[in-house]
Order: sequence, then structure tokens, then C-alpha cells
Amino acid sequence: MGALSTYRAQAALAIRTSFSDRTNFVLLVLGMAVNNGFWLILWFLFFTGFRQVGGWRMGDLARLLGILYTLFGVATVFAGGYRDMAGAILRGEIDALLTQPKPVLARMLARESIASAWGDLSTGVLILAVSARLDLAGAALAVAAVAIGAVAWLSAGVIFSSLAFWVAGARSLSRDLMDFTLMFASYPGPIYGGWAKVAAFTVLPAGFVAIAPVDLVRRPSLEAAGIAVGAAAAYAALALAVFSLGLRRYRRGASPGS
Amino acid sequence: MRSTPPWTADLSSVAHTAAALAAAYRVGLASALAAWPVLLGRAVFYGVCLTILGAFWGKVAAEHLPGTLAARLPAGGLGRYVGVTELITLSVTTIQLRLEDELRSGALEPHLLRPKHYLAQTLAGEAGGMSARFAVLGAAGLALLAATGGPWPSVSALAGVVVLAVLGAFVGVLLFTLVGLTAFWLRRVLPALLITQKLIFLLGGLFAPIALYPPWLHAIAVATPFAAHIAFAGEAMLAPSWTQFARALAAQLAWIAVLGALAALMWRAGLAKTLREGV
Amino acid sequence: MPPAITVQDLRKAYRFPRRRAGPFGALRGLIDPEFTELTAVAGVSFDIAPGERVAIIGPNGAGKSTTLKMLCGVLEPSAGAASVLGLVPWRQRTALARLIGVVFGQRSQLWTELPVRDSFALLRRVYDQPADTFAHRRDALVERFGIGALLAQPVNRLSLGQRMRCEIVASLLHGPRLLFLDEPTIGLDVTAKAAIRDFIREQSLREGQTVVLTSHDTRDIELVCERVIVINAGRIVLDQPTDQLRGRFMARKLVRLQSLAPSLNLALDGVTRRPSEPHVTILEIDTRRARVDAVIAAALALGGIEDVTIEDPPMEEVIHEIYAALDR
Repeated sequence: MGALSTYRAQAALAIRTSFSDRTNFVLLVLGMAVNNGFWLILWFLFFTGFRQVGGWRMGDLARLLGILYTLFGVATVFAGGYRDMAGAILRGEIDALLTQPKPVLARMLARESIASAWGDLSTGVLILAVSARLDLAGAALAVAAVAIGAVAWLSAGVIFSSLAFWVAGARSLSRDLMDFTLMFASYPGPIYGGWAKVAAFTVLPAGFVAIAPVDLVRRPSLEAAGIAVGAAAAYAALALAVFSLGLRRYRRGASPGS
Repeated sequence: MRSTPPWTADLSSVAHTAAALAAAYRVGLASALAAWPVLLGRAVFYGVCLTILGAFWGKVAAEHLPGTLAARLPAGGLGRYVGVTELITLSVTTIQLRLEDELRSGALEPHLLRPKHYLAQTLAGEAGGMSARFAVLGAAGLALLAATGGPWPSVSALAGVVVLAVLGAFVGVLLFTLVGLTAFWLRRVLPALLITQKLIFLLGGLFAPIALYPPWLHAIAVATPFAAHIAFAGEAMLAPSWTQFARALAAQLAWIAVLGALAALMWRAGLAKTLREGV
Repeated sequence: MPPAITVQDLRKAYRFPRRRAGPFGALRGLIDPEFTELTAVAGVSFDIAPGERVAIIGPNGAGKSTTLKMLCGVLEPSAGAASVLGLVPWRQRTALARLIGVVFGQRSQLWTELPVRDSFALLRRVYDQPADTFAHRRDALVERFGIGALLAQPVNRLSLGQRMRCEIVASLLHGPRLLFLDEPTIGLDVTAKAAIRDFIREQSLREGQTVVLTSHDTRDIELVCERVIVINAGRIVLDQPTDQLRGRFMARKLVRLQSLAPSLNLALDGVTRRPSEPHVTILEIDTRRARVDAVIAAALALGGIEDVTIEDPPMEEVIHEIYAALDR
């Protein structure tokens, strides 16, 4: 219970902070919405010329982008601390958290909320509402897909950031790895084969962030649900394990930032 | 009576300016090479881009759907095209950030107290940095080409691509220079930057070869500096020809001259404003 | 010999668009802007002879840096005229740049990621210096200022004092005839300040360079410059040789004592007590009549002293005193 209430309090504060400069907030949100809208237009142009790729049409891609933007927005608004967690670890900022009785990871995730992510969140929801043509069941599946994807995304963030417990250059490395994961996740799953597919389902978990959750909405089945949920849970468990291991190392004073 | 002909002073001045620009170029190159982990990271990013986009366009080309633009794609997909376009994009340095920082923070002042042109010196430095990136990414690109076992382009074709890519990168850095110079008047260059990036994506052929666009859009794209920045070099990789090369070269040189002149004008206006109002 | 610097009624006023009140204020402001004018320099005139070492002092916002920038050519005046080494600074900026050296205390002119040596090499090209002349001058300056051990280090790894020494050498590499220094000792410790002051003074005496220095620190003036121009609110209020100024206005020290007792019983000749909070005693010592060490010894003899600080009176007080003297 400690983790949840701590997290809630901290996240609320972080979100309020991101609202503080109203003009800047509006500009960031609008800017991100325009940015995402632009990508949608490019994809629309592509499908006008090529009709489909890997069995995916514009509607499928809209569903992908809708889910992806939404899960990214949810994760980055409500647990935005993952973005610079590696930096925080390297700067020794978790020292203050370690001396307090509340769970460290929850607080690290909740300490920041990125204003522009509201733009991703709203664009994502809008795309899902308008172009994904979901009925009630589809909408429920979309919500499930967002939740599963967000868990996988945050888990990836925690794992990559935890590298900072071992490696001093982890700040830019973890950012790059997250960017690569997002890039992989932004394209239709069926295009990947061979090494790319292996990468997308292991090292850079784009598969579990977007490909599997989107499949759940496209072709719902118990099997798809099992894979998606199971994978996200496994990733989350891995993230907790890696973080705990790293934290133990940090406490021993063996980390670059400690 | 003059002991030396009058033009020797001008020649000497030109030689001095060239030497100063060369020194700035060397500093830019050395700094970029010294930060080799950054270069390595960029090469990895390049590899990831090529993997994803190569897979994407490869799939599109392989499916070869009738009645679509797929008929106009080369059989192997657009891997090489993307290789060239991403090489140019990732070689261009973030001069707009440097300009924004120096113009807004007043770090411009020491440069104004020197007898050399700030913008020219800065561009020379960026050219040095770009050379390092271009070399490293180019090597990575060739390595990937060898790894994928594709047929090698002819030496003349490759040379043509390199020339157009280098000049294309310089067109790009001039575009971002104009973006950076808006810092004289705007609080943030970000809006101008985002618009420029979107135009490069759409009209520069970073998203898809502009040859696939409807004729009206293609005509517009070709007339912009964005195609000179990216598309021409990419097309030279797909379908090399002397005519295409000559036209592309002429267009790039023209745009370098135009954008350079525009940058010089913006600089003069911005400098006049700074001298009037202080940094 | 013609003056190195001639300044005639130089003025600088800045205009800011004023934000108008009300819901359409921003729009109205765009169409029909109103301006507020801020006068930074309200008309200064002076001459500086070649080889002279002059300090321009004054409180914050007095117009010192603005004046200096106009003389360097990086700021255009609103009115007035100036000539530096025979050139109009804001019109012949590039030509003047070859003849002057400038050091900003708060802004680096070196390339921060590069080793100092590489910055110097780049400056040779910037100033079109022949290789052997440059090498000779560089080596002499490096040795004289003792920065040999710093040459291989990147500028951003140097301490402030080390960086300032490199900045000063950098400003002299092209053999300028005139040196402008804007707050060169700001933020430095006592040893670093002393080293820089000595160097500047000796360099000027040796090479015959004209030096114009702005500073908040009265010791910069006393130890480097032979003449002081005091600027306040954009105007010159005093222009005198340093000796005269020293004698009249700078013969004071402030000693601040922190004690266990709420107040101290100290009555000494040449010492005035200033108002302060309990447990703190601020003594103003006229150094012509009393010695600082004697006063402190007397205080310590009382016992229960926790802390002693010795300060120069703030620049604002010196200016205030100058005003008071002028009024009389």
C-alpha cells in the first residue's frame, strides 16, 4: 500500500508542476499534437500510394499509432520519471530517497511528469476514437492494449535506466535504447523478419510494447491476450529484479553515481 | 610609389581568411573525433534506422501489389536510398542549437571583438564536424551494404552519390543556419526548426522518394532546397545518370549560393540589431 | 602625441516596447507601440593618453560596461563621438579588433572544450599572426604569467583563476596596443587577484600598452591604475589620479565582529561604530588614524569573539562619499 499512495501523492505533485507555466504547457501540447498529426498525414499519403503493407491498411496503422501515442502519453504523464532515471541515478539523486521509508522505484517514476506527453495522450485517444472504428468490445480491448503496452514500455525504461547502476555512460545509452524501441514500435509488426524480429521481441521490446498489444485489438483471441499479458508481466518482473539488483549494488557503493 | 602591386594586399587577405577558415574546420573535425563515443552512437542509430526502414520498404517492394506505386520501386526495396538519405540527415550537425545558444546568451560578444566573420568561422567549424560524421557513417553504410550482400554500385555512381551527398549535407546545414539565425528575433528557434524538419521529410524525400509523388507535388519538391538537401543524392543511388547528376549538382550549387546569401543578409540584419541593442 | 582614446559626449539609451494593460494590450502594442526609454550612458567625455592605465569604476548599472562596449565597437551609441586608436569603434569594428585586446571577467573568449594551446593556435589564425612572431610572443607571455602547465588542459577543466590568466594571455597574443578589461578579477581569490594585477601593470609598463579597466574592486584600481574615472547613473562624477582618490576616499576598512556578548565595549581613536544587530559589532576604521591589527587585537582582548571579518567599504559607499565631498 505504501508504494501506491506514495506514488499517487508524488505523481500528483509532478503533474501540477508540469502545468505551472500555462503558456508553455499549451505550446508543448499543441506542438506535440501537430507533430503526431503530421506523421499520420504521411502514413495516409503512403497508404494512398501503396494501399497496404504486410496485410496492414490505414485503419490498422491508425490503431497502432493510437495505442502507441496513448500508452506513451499515459506512461510519460503519470510516471515520467523514467525518462531521466539514468541521469538521476548517476547524479546520486536517489540518496535522498534511500533515506526515506517509502519504496524507491515508485518515487523515482512519479517524480516527474512531462508536459508534452499530454499532447501524445490526447492525440492517441483522438486517433483511436475517430479512425480506429472500435465498438464497445474493441474499445475495451484498446484500453487493455494501452495498459499492457504502458507496462512493457515502463519496464523497458526501468531496465535501460538501471544500466546506470553499472555503467557511467548509461544516460545517453538508455535514451537511445528507448528511442530505438519506439522507432521499432512505430511500424507495422509484419515487416520484421529474421534478426530484426528477434531484436524487436528481446533486446528492444517493441514487440511487447506495441506489436503484441495491437495484435490483441486486431485479432482478439485468448492466445493473443495470454501472450501480451504474460510478456508484459514477465518484463515487469524483470524490470523489478534488475532495479533491485542495481539498487543493492548502489547501496554497496559500487555504482558510478554512489 | 608602391613597392608592391595593389592586389597583393587583397590576395594576402584572402589567404589569411582561408587559413582562418581552415583552422576552424580542423578544430571542428578534431572535436568531433575526440567525442568518438558520440560518433559511435550515431553510427548505431544509423544502423537501426536502416534496419527498420530497410525491412519496411523491402516488405513493400516484395509484396509488389498491382495497381499501386510498388511497381515503381526497385526490386530490392529502398534500402540503398534510405542508406544515402539517412547518411545525409545524420551527418548534419545541430548548428541551429549552437547559434540559438550563442545569440541568446551573449556568447556572441567575444566573437564580435575578433577580426574574422563569425558566421563563416562557425560554418567552417561545423563543416569539420560534419566531415567526421560523414566519414564514420559512410563507413558504417558501406559495411552494412557488404553485410547484406547486395550488388555494389559502380565506382562512378558511388562517386556521384558521395559528391551529391556532401553538397546535400551542406545545403542542409545552411537551412539549419537560417533556422538558428531566427534567434536574433524569436525567443525560441524550435518552431522554425520543427517546420523545417517537416518540410525536409515531405519535400526532401526523407519519407519516400519524391519520384513517387504525384507530378504536381514532385514539381514543387524539386523546386525547393529540401530536395537538393536529401532527394537528389538518394535518387543518384537508385538510378544514376550523368544528366541527373549534372542537374542535381547545378541545383545544389545554386541553392548553396542562394541560402548562403540569405544567411549573410540575415546575419547582417541581426548583427545591426545586436550592435544597436546590445547582446 | 594624439590620445589613444577620445570620447565626446557619448550617450546610450535603450528603448523597450512597453506592455500595454488590458485584454487587447498585446495587440494594441503591436500596432501602436509605446516605448520606455532607459538611459545607460547620459553623456560622457574623456581622453586617454597612450600608455595610460585608467580605471572606470562605479556601482552596478552605472554605465561602465556599456561605455566599454561602445569603445570596443560592439555597441552603437545613441549620440556622441569616440575615437579609439584613430578609428571609430562601431564603424570600423573589424579594423579596431586587430589593435585591441579585450578580457571579459564573466564571459570566456576561449574555446571551452579545447586545450588552451589549441585556443591560442586558433587565435593566431584569427588575428593573421606570422608563425614565428606569434610563437615568440606566446612563449614569453606563457612564461611571464606561469601558465605553462595549463596549456594542455581543456579550458572547462581550469579553475576560475587559471582560466582568467589564460584569458588575459589570449588577449595579448596579437600584440594589441590597447587592452580593455571588464571586471577581470571578479570571483577570484586574493592570490589570483594579486597575480593578475601585477601582470597587467607590468605588461603595460613593459610594452607601453594603454589599459582601460572596469571593476568593483577598489584594490584593482589602487594597484593597477594611475587614473580613475568614476561613473554613476551614466555620467562621470570624478576623473582624478589614483593617488588623490586614495588619499581622500579609500582610507577606510570595515571590521565585523561576531561575539558571544550582545555588544562590545570598544572605544578607540579613529574607530567609529556602525549600527548592527545584537552579537554583531561593525567598526569603521580610518586607516590614517588607526591600524586594523591594533583594533582587532583590542577586540580579541575583550574575549568571547567568535568571528572576525575585514572588508573594504562597498563601492556604493565610496561613490556616496565622493558625492558628499563634491557637495561640500
